[in-house]
Amino acid sequence: MKKNQRAETMICIDNVTKRFGTLEAVRGVSLNVARKECVVIIGPSGSGKSTLLRCINRLEEYDSGRITVDGIPLDTAENINAVRAEVGMVFQSFNLFAHLTALENITLAQRIIRKRSRSEAEKVARELLEKVGIPDKADCHPSQLSGGQQQRVAIARALAMNPKVMLFDEPTSALDPEMINEVVDVMEKLAFEGMTMVVVSHEMGFARAAADRVIFMDGGQFIEEGKPDRLFSRPREKRTKAFLGKVLHVHTK
Amino acid sequence: MEKAKKPIEAAPAPKLNISPGEELGAHMDPWWGLVIVVAVLAAVLILVRPDPYGRIFRYVTDGILVTVLTTVLSFLLVVVLGLFGGLGRLAKNKVIYGISTLYVEIVRGIPLLVQLIFWYYAFPALVQGIGDANNIPFLSDFRAPAMPMAIFGLTICYGAYMSEIYRAGIQSIPKGQIEAARSLGMSYAQAMRFVILPQAVRVILPPMGNEFVSLLKDSSLVSVVAVADMTRRGQEFMSTNFIPLETWAMIALLYLMMTLFSARIVAWIEKRAKYER
Repeated sequence: MKKNQRAETMICIDNVTKRFGTLEAVRGVSLNVARKECVVIIGPSGSGKSTLLRCINRLEEYDSGRITVDGIPLDTAENINAVRAEVGMVFQSFNLFAHLTALENITLAQRIIRKRSRSEAEKVARELLEKVGIPDKADCHPSQLSGGQQQRVAIARALAMNPKVMLFDEPTSALDPEMINEVVDVMEKLAFEGMTMVVVSHEMGFARAAADRVIFMDGGQFIEEGKPDRLFSRPREKRTKAFLGKVLHVHTK
Repeated sequence: MEKAKKPIEAAPAPKLNISPGEELGAHMDPWWGLVIVVAVLAAVLILVRPDPYGRIFRYVTDGILVTVLTTVLSFLLVVVLGLFGGLGRLAKNKVIYGISTLYVEIVRGIPLLVQLIFWYYAFPALVQGIGDANNIPFLSDFRAPAMPMAIFGLTICYGAYMSEIYRAGIQSIPKGQIEAARSLGMSYAQAMRFVILPQAVRVILPPMGNEFVSLLKDSSLVSVVAVADMTRRGQEFMSTNFIPLETWAMIALLYLMMTLFSARIVAWIEKRAKYER
């Protein structure tokens, strides 16, 4: 196994509930993610998986419960900004800053939050662009990049902050099929390097290759969790079976 | 921008597609011609018939300066006030939202002329009344200086309209942009300054330019609150020389020259903002 045995908790989610009006999107969910662990959350749309993920860096305010990241509770505005700087987030729709080049997208927060000099930040940015495989796109604006390239810049932008945790919110859902692999490859590389990751995604290939744990979520609750091989091949719950039946049918081949 | 579906591997910069001939044409805005025609017309009138046109022009010259100064100072203040008003209208905090909405709704519902008269005549009376009632000599002796009060009145009024321009501009930026900025650890203010406003400027600029031209024209209203602007100087000239046609033809030409000129500058800035990315 690639992971060490020390079960040190990085993310602690304790009985978190989030309502949108009368709808309970997340219902009293608890989850511990260990350092260097890679957790993949799957589930039908509207099951609350993205909402839960967005609670981890407080993009979504939750109604009750407690979340700590690396021991820091998400309570005061100061703590929230501190946690956000340590938690990288990758969005379904990339959300690159449209007025900046790829390089500037990656250097902006480094310079503002990490107080790095321009040359230092640019050095980090170029290294990361190399790592995600598009060193030649540094001076392109997002509108000049393909979806897959934009998403890889977005990953580099998050990594530039030296995060302790990376959150991926359906990172490949807005991509054309031929571009999914280039993004998944980068994500797998990160997981193997020991990044703590929480990934909302239906990429079974990624889950099998990189996840330590897969969680199936439905109706705002965890229904089942387990090692990827076990959960995909021998799901115990009826709802998991039904969901996997639909998804695997679509996604394999 | 949000969901770029197609792979655009080597999209050329838009500007490079323009051939040299078009490039030259694109830089020449034909409406500058109108500005020149109006300017030449005014110059010819002044030179060919120095009496009365040259006389009128010399008489109102100081008024031109007052008009320009009033407009430019007010506009600078409006740009700042509008930003805060616009952010207030988007605030989650109910008190801040309430105050800024109240401000916008009230100010937009009262004619500018009435507002200017209020600030110059009614507001000092109010301050003096408060001073008398509470025996504060500093307030009892309050006198409204004409020009600052006029600039203040214009700023308050146009600030409300500008707030809505800022609000619309900021709202036009997809929510994902601020989420991405916040998720990197930026504060709300940092996200606004480095991510949202630089993008919103492109949306805000055109209506903001229109506001400048409107403000330039509406600055003529300050003539009724003892500010010796171009319009007031025109009235003074007319009342001593009794030649309304020539006077107001000259004043109208001068305003037209200024507004047309500003409109061209605004169009030029808009065009540059579009090509910047």
